[in-house]
Amino acid sequence: MPNRLSRAPLALIVGGAPRDASDAELAAGLIARQDWALAEAWRRFAPMVLRTAERVIGTRTEAEDVAQEVFYQVFRRARTLREPDSLRSFVYSFVVRVLKSELRRRKRRRLLFLGAPSGAEDPLDTTAADVESRELLIRFNALLDRLSPRDRLVFVLRRMEAMTIQEIAATMDLSISTVKRAMAHASRRLAHWVDTDPGLAAFVESHGGRSP
Amino acid sequence: MTAPTDSSPDDPPETPALAALVELRRAAVKPHPPADLQRGLVALRSRIAAEGSSRPALIRGALFGAAVLVVLLGSMQLVARFRAASRKGAGQPPVTVQRIEGGALVEGGYLNEAGRAGIQVYFNEGTRFVLHPRTRGRLREITREGATLSIEEGAASLNVKQDPTRRWAVEAGPFLVTVKGTVFDVSWDPTDERFDLKLHRGHVVVSGPVVGGSIPLGAGQHLAIRLPLAETVITETANEETGRANDDRDDHDDSDQDDHGPDARATPARAAPPAVPAAPGRAAPARRAVAVRPQPDSGGEPTVAGARRAAARPWPALLAAGQWDRILADAERRGVEATLEQAPSEDLFALADAARYSHRVDLASAALLAQRRRFPDSPRSLDAVFLLGRVAELRDGEGGRAMAFYDQYLGQAPDGPYAALAMGRKMILTRDEGDRAKARRIAREYLVRFPTASYAAAARALAREP
Repeated sequence: MPNRLSRAPLALIVGGAPRDASDAELAAGLIARQDWALAEAWRRFAPMVLRTAERVIGTRTEAEDVAQEVFYQVFRRARTLREPDSLRSFVYSFVVRVLKSELRRRKRRRLLFLGAPSGAEDPLDTTAADVESRELLIRFNALLDRLSPRDRLVFVLRRMEAMTIQEIAATMDLSISTVKRAMAHASRRLAHWVDTDPGLAAFVESHGGRSP
Repeated sequence: MTAPTDSSPDDPPETPALAALVELRRAAVKPHPPADLQRGLVALRSRIAAEGSSRPALIRGALFGAAVLVVLLGSMQLVARFRAASRKGAGQPPVTVQRIEGGALVEGGYLNEAGRAGIQVYFNEGTRFVLHPRTRGRLREITREGATLSIEEGAASLNVKQDPTRRWAVEAGPFLVTVKGTVFDVSWDPTDERFDLKLHRGHVVVSGPVVGGSIPLGAGQHLAIRLPLAETVITETANEETGRANDDRDDHDDSDQDDHGPDARATPARAAPPAVPAAPGRAAPARRAVAVRPQPDSGGEPTVAGARRAAARPWPALLAAGQWDRILADAERRGVEATLEQAPSEDLFALADAARYSHRVDLASAALLAQRRRFPDSPRSLDAVFLLGRVAELRDGEGGRAMAFYDQYLGQAPDGPYAALAMGRKMILTRDEGDRAKARRIAREYLVRFPTASYAAAARALAREP
């Protein structure tokens, strides 16, 4: 057991975040590049960013990388925020932007290397799911990888994040009709791929069989 | 089954199988634990700090232009190399559990001990986890690149095969140990809230509460953290541990260049700090204390600004390296009075801390009082109130005075970075003075305000008393 040298804490670092800062106050802090604002923005929004990123990308480690990039961009570009009260939307716009960029990068990489869809290479980082669920998740991730980045984002935001068509259109800077088309396109293709994936045949059968 | 919560006629029809898969994926994403979030914030701050200390924009622009030119000229070569590298990575087999001895992997990744001899987990690429008897742990993640072991209670020994493309980590209570090729023992005692890590070979980085961001450790170092005391102690056991480290090399991979790599050099405090007595019964092991860096509690995360200050100013940097004797020597060379009157705020704080660690309580008090007198409007001034309480505790019979400082701090900064520590120390002092009824009242308030902070275990013990 080591000898204790001191019981007293050092004071190299000082915090000081207003605990109940409004979004507008937080935005002002970010614009002023104050450290407490960065910490508070992370505390307030990181769980949401990580969850969305993981649902879109499919792996926890990559979701963490996305979150890092999102908050880095938010901190750097806080001055471009026009309405401080809409900080959450501002953060979400970066989430979408970074995710779209990441999905494009992955797609380019797959094309460049003529490799298999990354979903087949990168199973979800979890042991929480049972083996059967884990296998299903891996296969589903591979199918999502076949969608275009835009369609994939629209589908996940709508179906897993429960955003409205209008919210998705505003966040992704698309028209409502474009979002509807993307949603329909993604749903139709995914349903077809699910129905015809040999590895999902038993699962499809247990859920009422193939669609007519 | 899983129509969107605000399903509208605009939503296309969905097959039951697709709906079930969507729900499965949605539900598979679990919230990130606080330790992960804390680690993420530390990484973000580091990145922003690195940006702040980088070259001016014009130079960056010029460099970027040059880089673009190089990229354009050499794009074909780069693509070829990248593809080759990718093929190499793709050819590497994913990490899998090869076998488990002494127990079994059960639902949720928990490792269920079959007997009383502990559990050994062997991975296909040579890494081995050994959970000591009666340790409760789980394999929280297994990815292509590695795995994360979570220790909820007990101890484990890890022998991680060195490979830069792998990612291994150990969660022990609220602490995260990021691992490269290395051999170490780690333990977590949730009752005493004590974390211990003995590194025999290689290097690791530990992050979590109290440690002040992250602590890189090198071979032969022992990190002990006691949350209730907000105490972090790193000791070196050069002779003893290095000997064991050398022994370990025999049954491990032989390509561990990481031991002396850049990260290893980043380990804190190589220069001589004050020596402390050797452990009894040993043949003079070279045991040295190298750093003590407790931090503010409950929301007082380490800041990048703090890290930068430490890098830019000699005294805070010396303090972080445990070289408080050099700080004191510097102050005496400059003249103590002159230092107290002229030193900047950060240096005064570093001086106060160095004096406290050397038990020069008068000098510590003087530095903190100078801080308050000369920089009355700075946040440090308020912190000085709390630290004056800590200094008072170092003097015999000044518990009451310490308590007054803590009360003053809590009155002026009820949500300040030291609020949890101030209330915790007040609770302990009250208990030690024998007023257990009052201590219980403070404990109950502490648990309401800071249910997960450092003194929570002590507060719970007090609150349970009849």
